[in-house]
Amino acid sequence: MVDISVNSPASSSRERNAVTLFEQHRSDLIRQRRAMTIFGIAAFLVCLGLSIWVSRFYPSRLAEGVPRILEYFVTITPDLNWSVLFEAKNEAGRAVPGSFAYWYTDFWTYLELIFETILMAITGTIIGGTLAFLLSFAASDNLAPNQTIYFLARRFMEICRGIPEILLALVFVFMIGIGPLAGILAVAIHTTGALGKLFAEVNENASDKPVEGITAVGGNWFERMAYGVVPQVTPNFVSYLLLRFEINVRASSIIGFVGAGGIGQELNRVISFYSDDRVLAVLILVVATVTVIDLISERLRLGFIGKENFQ
Amino acid sequence: MMSTLSAVTATEVESLRVSQPEVFNSPRKMIRKWGPWALALGYLIWSMWFFDFVRLLDGSDRVWSLLRAFFIWEDMANWQYANIYVGIAQTLAMAFLGTLLGSLGALVIGFFAARNIITFTPLRQLVRRILDVLRGVDQLIWGLVFVRAVGLGPLAGVLAIFISDLGTLSKLYSEAIENIDRKQVEGIKATGAGPFALVRFGYIPQVLPVFISQSLYFLESNTRSATILGIVGAGGVGMIIIERFRATLYDQVAFVILNILILIAIIDYLSKKIRQRVIGRNEIR
Repeated sequence: MVDISVNSPASSSRERNAVTLFEQHRSDLIRQRRAMTIFGIAAFLVCLGLSIWVSRFYPSRLAEGVPRILEYFVTITPDLNWSVLFEAKNEAGRAVPGSFAYWYTDFWTYLELIFETILMAITGTIIGGTLAFLLSFAASDNLAPNQTIYFLARRFMEICRGIPEILLALVFVFMIGIGPLAGILAVAIHTTGALGKLFAEVNENASDKPVEGITAVGGNWFERMAYGVVPQVTPNFVSYLLLRFEINVRASSIIGFVGAGGIGQELNRVISFYSDDRVLAVLILVVATVTVIDLISERLRLGFIGKENFQ
Repeated sequence: MMSTLSAVTATEVESLRVSQPEVFNSPRKMIRKWGPWALALGYLIWSMWFFDFVRLLDGSDRVWSLLRAFFIWEDMANWQYANIYVGIAQTLAMAFLGTLLGSLGALVIGFFAARNIITFTPLRQLVRRILDVLRGVDQLIWGLVFVRAVGLGPLAGVLAIFISDLGTLSKLYSEAIENIDRKQVEGIKATGAGPFALVRFGYIPQVLPVFISQSLYFLESNTRSATILGIVGAGGVGMIIIERFRATLYDQVAFVILNILILIAIIDYLSKKIRQRVIGRNEIR
């Protein structure tokens, strides 16, 4: 330790030494930091340059594209006329241009497809949730009967959730043909992976006392799971299942882009073949559906967890 | 009345049924216990009929031939690897540009959506509702819309990522701005700083680490979504997948999907490392 308040000639050289050392160290640090900053900025600029080059994201293309985007949004906006807005279809079965009835000519088709979308999400969630439920016990490290089964269950679920839903749907469309069945299978497989992981985490946090109790009275592995673990984890499972259902409604609504059923198929058709007010009509319905489902499911979830907490 | 179980008479059972109804199984209890299960099972059977699950059995040889085509790779020397890896590079570029633009946009719009910056409620509400719309429409739908507007290619993908990120990141940024410490801002204000200096020295230092961590997280998730944006024609490796599918080159599809899975794993790992390095001490937030 150098006492800097002492100003004796003996300590002066040591002190200067310490100061220069400190200054040297400081400038080293500053230089290092500056080098890191310059390196970071350079790396960022290189990434930026490469990205712009690879994706041909040039200002000229952008300047050309942006007006077209604005133009497109104008073309998909409906021509509503206030005076005939609520006019119903006339005797000939034709709607008056400018009315809601004209804008939503295919309303019942859309509604049918939205119904189908929701059913796809429900069926996919039930199938995937059941598989995830069965697998989750094998995939939690405190409950798995042995290491091999644990490893296999984990890897299987990772593969299931690693592949994007829409890619799975594409594969299934090629396998079993166009239609909602391909979408359901895709949703179910993805759900198995995603929910299985969450379920396994819940299982790992479960208390092992009830399990020990069931073991003590001679229960086998299945009985230990059924009477020791399941009663503890059910509330969390249900809450995750509902959350997944919300996500699956979103997924089902776009999975139709590759021909796997639901409103997505209609959305794809409408966007690809027409650029008129139909696009906006379907889009509004899709967003509304997803929002309503989210709200309902959130209510249910909060109600369920809340009730469990008070018991 | 003390009696062993075997000696309980029918009349005693009857009187207990009246006084202790909740001990006994009642039809209502049975319904409450098994009803949901029966409902779920019934629904499942009905939906299997509705969605024609028997088709799974019909297409079995088709399924097998497709699966075989996935796993038996032929003629690997003539695959257009350059094409595939350019697609992957394009995917990364789209994710990078989209996230960057989205973050820059959110940096501005986030302030307009924060309660403690814009005290004029109608303007803030308007900004927030617009952000809700941007967020509510799925990224893939934006992709489809932009493909229609600006044509096939990565430009549409970048715009789709940009728009949907703008919605989500602005909301997250505005929440970060709303949660800052007022004292630092008041200190800057007390020195007589203008609005620009106030934002630069009062707000930015507090929120920047949060912003960076969120943007990095989005870069990661956008790389995932950029791989599938190509399926609707918005550039990147997804376009290559769908092209190969149409040309029934299933072995190449399997190869590209394998590449994507590896890419996603690498991106996850790298992004975790960078996040830890850049904002290590703020990880708790």
